[in-house]
Amino acid sequence: MTDKMIEVNGLRKRFGGHLALDGMTFGVHSGRITGFVGPNGAGKSTTMRVILGLDRAESGTALVGGVPYRSLKRPLTHVGSLLDAGALQPSRTARDHLLWLAHSQGLGRNRVEEVLEQAGLSAVARRRAGGFSLGMRQRLGIAAALLGDPWALLLDEPFNGMDPEGIVWMRGFLRSLAGQGRAVLVSSHLMGELQGTADHVVIVGRGRVIADSSVAGLLARASSGLVSLRTSSPEAAAVLTGAGASVREAEDGTLTVTGLTAEQIVSALSARGIPFAEVSAHRATLEQAYMDLTRDAVEFRAAEVSR
Amino acid sequence: MSGVLRSEWTKLRTTSGTAWLLLGLVVATIGIGWLATAVTTCTHSDCFLDPTQLSLTGVQLGQIVVAVLAVMLFGNEYSTGLIRLTLAATPRRWTVLAAKALVLTGPVLLAAGVAVAGSVVAGRQYQSVPFRLTPVLGTVIYLALIALFSLGLAAIVRSAAVAIGIVLGLCYAYPLLAAATGDPAWVRRLLQIGPTTAGQNIMSTVDPETLAHAPWNGLGVLALWTAGTLLTAAVLLHRRDA
Repeated sequence: MTDKMIEVNGLRKRFGGHLALDGMTFGVHSGRITGFVGPNGAGKSTTMRVILGLDRAESGTALVGGVPYRSLKRPLTHVGSLLDAGALQPSRTARDHLLWLAHSQGLGRNRVEEVLEQAGLSAVARRRAGGFSLGMRQRLGIAAALLGDPWALLLDEPFNGMDPEGIVWMRGFLRSLAGQGRAVLVSSHLMGELQGTADHVVIVGRGRVIADSSVAGLLARASSGLVSLRTSSPEAAAVLTGAGASVREAEDGTLTVTGLTAEQIVSALSARGIPFAEVSAHRATLEQAYMDLTRDAVEFRAAEVSR
Repeated sequence: MSGVLRSEWTKLRTTSGTAWLLLGLVVATIGIGWLATAVTTCTHSDCFLDPTQLSLTGVQLGQIVVAVLAVMLFGNEYSTGLIRLTLAATPRRWTVLAAKALVLTGPVLLAAGVAVAGSVVAGRQYQSVPFRLTPVLGTVIYLALIALFSLGLAAIVRSAAVAIGIVLGLCYAYPLLAAATGDPAWVRRLLQIGPTTAGQNIMSTVDPETLAHAPWNGLGVLALWTAGTLLTAAVLLHRRDA
């Protein structure tokens, strides 16, 4: 695979009075999984539709391998996509669904059988897609996205409706696709789904990018200086605040402390004879990093409205 | 284009309703035509009867079957969201419309040919229906044009239900509304411009003076409607978000 990429630059789009895309800008590089994360309505699906030439942006560009998607002759051999796993004719079999799609790209039956195999659907290829569970539809959607052996994949919420086994399969599958050098963009409104899957995340809210960072970098930033501990003493929080920390209290007696190191916390509490346990320097999850970032966005939004 | 054509053919072939609707077109058209010729008698000396047109009475129902088949081609894709996959696979969107039109026309011409020829043959059991090329060939073309008109309409309104509603209105309500205007000049004018009312002149073999249009002219009006609808569909398909 060559080092092609998807480039989204300054996309702007309005639906009625609602600004769906507000300067959306990011890149999807080959050989890695880019998570595309944000609350529902943040503009993820719209961005994907614009990349695929389905929707038109009012301004800005979306290029795949340096050209607009709509100029591609056999687009599925460049970019495979899964927008909506439910978009099927229910009476058509899985195989026939892939067959018409293959024909549209000048591909034949052999390729259909190959992707059915890859997606683990060979056994149900003759069944009507209307009877498929959402998880199986997602697999069928993945098979469709892979038909043209594309160098890039755009998948909108592929984990939706999958059982735990399916999620594990999907993660491994996406990893192997990225490992083959493909550029993979995976959207999700649940950051946790992408932990251990994505290499890079683009976090969006209200039609624009809030953060565009490697997962490792994001975690390091979110983890910095957080220490948690358990205590039954009601004084503990006051003592630590007195020592210069800021403290969040949870109802189960867990304190999350910033501004002091674990060592400083232990000595401050020990000096007052306050009982505590389970002191640990905190490693943030991707979910928490995401919440921190989007909380800022929400506050910013609230301030903007009240102004 | 050949890939898109093959793709649309595969879609049509693997849609469960296609074969049944084509069979329905044949059965409904012949059946109702045969029934009409069986129950209609002409006893008065000044009785006005066009045996050919009578034998083709079933087309009144057959055209709706054709329209249903046609609107499904787009209607199903819009209702399921499949259209996005179709247009992502074929970004030159007008080729999708053209391919759908082509793969629809073939089977409809074939089934309509059987239906119309069958109607004339069946009608000869009770009426003296002459074998004439113009009404038979013309009616087959009429049905194909109704199919293409409906296809374009479905692409414009993006809903099978709305499209079929419009076709039903044009086939059944429009002639009644035209007649309700009362004024003969207006009635004639409305019958002349309506796509179905104009097109159906092709089924008549009696005095052209009594018709709103000469047969082929009437079919021409329907052809213009169809071309306009398909063109509008192509433009909208290209310009609108999928």
